[in-house]
Amino acid sequence: MDNKNASSTAGKIIRCRAAISRIPGKPLVMEEIEVDPPKAGEVRIKILCTSLCHSDVTFWRSTQPPMAVFPRILGHEAVGVVESVGGGVEEVREGDLVLPVFQGDCGECRDCKSPKSNICSKFVNKDNQSMPRDGTNRFRDLKGEVIHNVLNVSSFTQYTVVDVTHVVKITPDIPLDIACLLSCGVSTGLGAAWKVAEVEEGSTVAIFGLGAVGLSVAEGARIRGATRIIGVDLNPEKFETGKKFGITDFINPATCGDKTVSQVIKEMTDGGADYCFECIGLASVMNDAFNSSREGWGKTVILGVEMHGSPISLNSIEILKGRSVCGTFFGGLKPKSDIATLAQKYLDKELNLDEFITHEVSFHDINKAFDLLLEGKSLRCVIWIDKQN
Amino acid sequence: MDIEKPSNKTAGKPIQCRAPGEPLVIDEVIVDPPNSHEVRVRIICTSLCHSDVTFWKMKDFPAVFPRILGHEAIGVVESVGENVDGVVEGDVVIPHFLADCTECVGCRSKKGNLCSAFPFKISPWMPRDQTSRFKDLRGETIHHFVSVSSFSEYTVLDIAHVVKVDPTVPPNRACLLSCGVSTGVGAAWRTANVEVGSTVVIFGLGSIGLAVAEGARLCGATRIIGVDVISEKFEIGKRFGVTEFVNSKNCGDKSVSQIIIDMTDGGADYCFECVGLASLVQEAYACCRKGWGKTIVLGVDQPGSQLSLSSFEVLHSGKILMGSLFGGLKAKSDIPILLKRYMDKELELDKFVTHEMKFEEINSAFDLLIKGKCLRCVIWMGE
Repeated sequence: MDNKNASSTAGKIIRCRAAISRIPGKPLVMEEIEVDPPKAGEVRIKILCTSLCHSDVTFWRSTQPPMAVFPRILGHEAVGVVESVGGGVEEVREGDLVLPVFQGDCGECRDCKSPKSNICSKFVNKDNQSMPRDGTNRFRDLKGEVIHNVLNVSSFTQYTVVDVTHVVKITPDIPLDIACLLSCGVSTGLGAAWKVAEVEEGSTVAIFGLGAVGLSVAEGARIRGATRIIGVDLNPEKFETGKKFGITDFINPATCGDKTVSQVIKEMTDGGADYCFECIGLASVMNDAFNSSREGWGKTVILGVEMHGSPISLNSIEILKGRSVCGTFFGGLKPKSDIATLAQKYLDKELNLDEFITHEVSFHDINKAFDLLLEGKSLRCVIWIDKQN
Repeated sequence: MDIEKPSNKTAGKPIQCRAPGEPLVIDEVIVDPPNSHEVRVRIICTSLCHSDVTFWKMKDFPAVFPRILGHEAIGVVESVGENVDGVVEGDVVIPHFLADCTECVGCRSKKGNLCSAFPFKISPWMPRDQTSRFKDLRGETIHHFVSVSSFSEYTVLDIAHVVKVDPTVPPNRACLLSCGVSTGVGAAWRTANVEVGSTVVIFGLGSIGLAVAEGARLCGATRIIGVDVISEKFEIGKRFGVTEFVNSKNCGDKSVSQIIIDMTDGGADYCFECVGLASLVQEAYACCRKGWGKTIVLGVDQPGSQLSLSSFEVLHSGKILMGSLFGGLKAKSDIPILLKRYMDKELELDKFVTHEMKFEEINSAFDLLIKGKCLRCVIWMGE
């Protein structure tokens, strides 16, 4: 099934193993599936390793549309090798090391051409369960039933098909497990600090949620010279972990007594933080983050995918007092230009990424990655699908 | 009129309101001399702003009575208290409700305009010592309004709320920069930073909205879409740079935001809410463009009102929601800049003034504004 000579599978259906999510919240099931060859504008990728991001968990345990889609191949943080390309694809070829990325980058639409946006508008009907170009699927189980994809990637499989606008070449100099981090969580956090918030030297930053995304924000803020990086998390162990990423102060909301987190932050910072980042996905925390921002210029950046569909509720007068709120996908980064920059910074030792990888498992132990994340024990657990040298 | 110089009392003829919503009553009051860090100013002109009307009508706190309203004005310094630098008797000054002490963290920051030494609040007192400089002839305290109180022949201002300006400016134009026009122009210029070629949508074509249009025009916006419920506002708006108009009552089945999204092929670069309704802010947010659209809130809704936005929309749209007071301007530096732009004939102020009247006619200014029949009424005090 795994062919050494890649060109012998080009144009053919590949049979391979995938970890399929069939029932919300239940362990993924390893099954044989069929993966169609890439159509025009698409790329079939042999995944080498992938990591679990909390957004996958959110989709995995959703029971309501539009988030709940089953059966589905989850996973969107990964690195792989191009197995074959569809018609018209010239920017990558068989054998290239690439990252599949949930954020599109066509390079041609008005958004891609603008420095102000990273929300590629080439395909307007992306439904987060099928191919963006034509809305059909490339995965089937052995009974012939369609298996849906996620976020235009689907990486918990030996082979996946991704639109070329979601494929980014990456230097083979970078270790594979580090490369796959750059395809979502860590880039999102770094970008949020650098491009979206534009944290400047001397700033005070508050980060709600110290998972991999929150800690990447911290790393990004640290590199930019923020002098106080306040981490907010319910897990006290996150403080020690957080210190490695630049966290200077820690607040556990469970131990604030009568005060709200925002009151504590305002007191600590003489009015509020310059930048507040929500990295969990809960509307109540988004409100806390907003209330913790300083009047005059406080900026709140939302990175978390809200888990229950709840709205954000902001006090009108507090907005009038010079505050702003925005959200970001992928930290405002343009994948095809910015990922390479991050990779180079890692290679130049300006960026510490090694500490994000706390665990490794083999593909057949993928469910352990879910357990570790849900228990708050891991940052990034790398799942090796094909451990190439 | 005879002014008794530095004695403890000087009689003026200010106007005050005694009860919510009732016509203002012209009365004699006593205006104390300025304390430390204060100046006493003879008002030349003042204009009526909708925020004055809001507090005039309000029954509950933070409304208080009796109070001298008015906060958009220009005057001449009559005397100064101790510790006042940079302003002397005879200087022409513009009061500003938003403090600019120039020294605190907030004032020194380039990123915002909120003074942390004198934070904005609807206070009935002088900002530094929480007392009043006004009494009526029975000795009853009369309250201040947002540290200005310009519906009076004389008022006392904290130095943090006063900026010296070019004495040759026409006062019946310059007074507009003390609040409304600065707020709107500033919102486009400083808060939003509208750039050349932008598409802008303005919800609410009162003086603030029209000032946003003027500001957007000066910034080089190419499309300025005005949204209002009164069709006549379009003709008026054209003089301020409004290029297209949407009457939100005539949208049929579609929402205003959908119409704007269609008109702009995806949404506007900047949407300004200049009315003060949370529901309109949501409409404005919906029709600013994904990727980089900015929604700017200028209107003041009821205390405690909440803006509710879809979390997913906030996350994936890339839109920015922001608000500002006084257009994000730092009064002491920016009011003189705007005045110069007026004197250089770039910024147009004349078109904002639809009526001019004497002090005694002040209540007709209220009537005109409430009925939507004016933009700015300029009230000339004294001779």
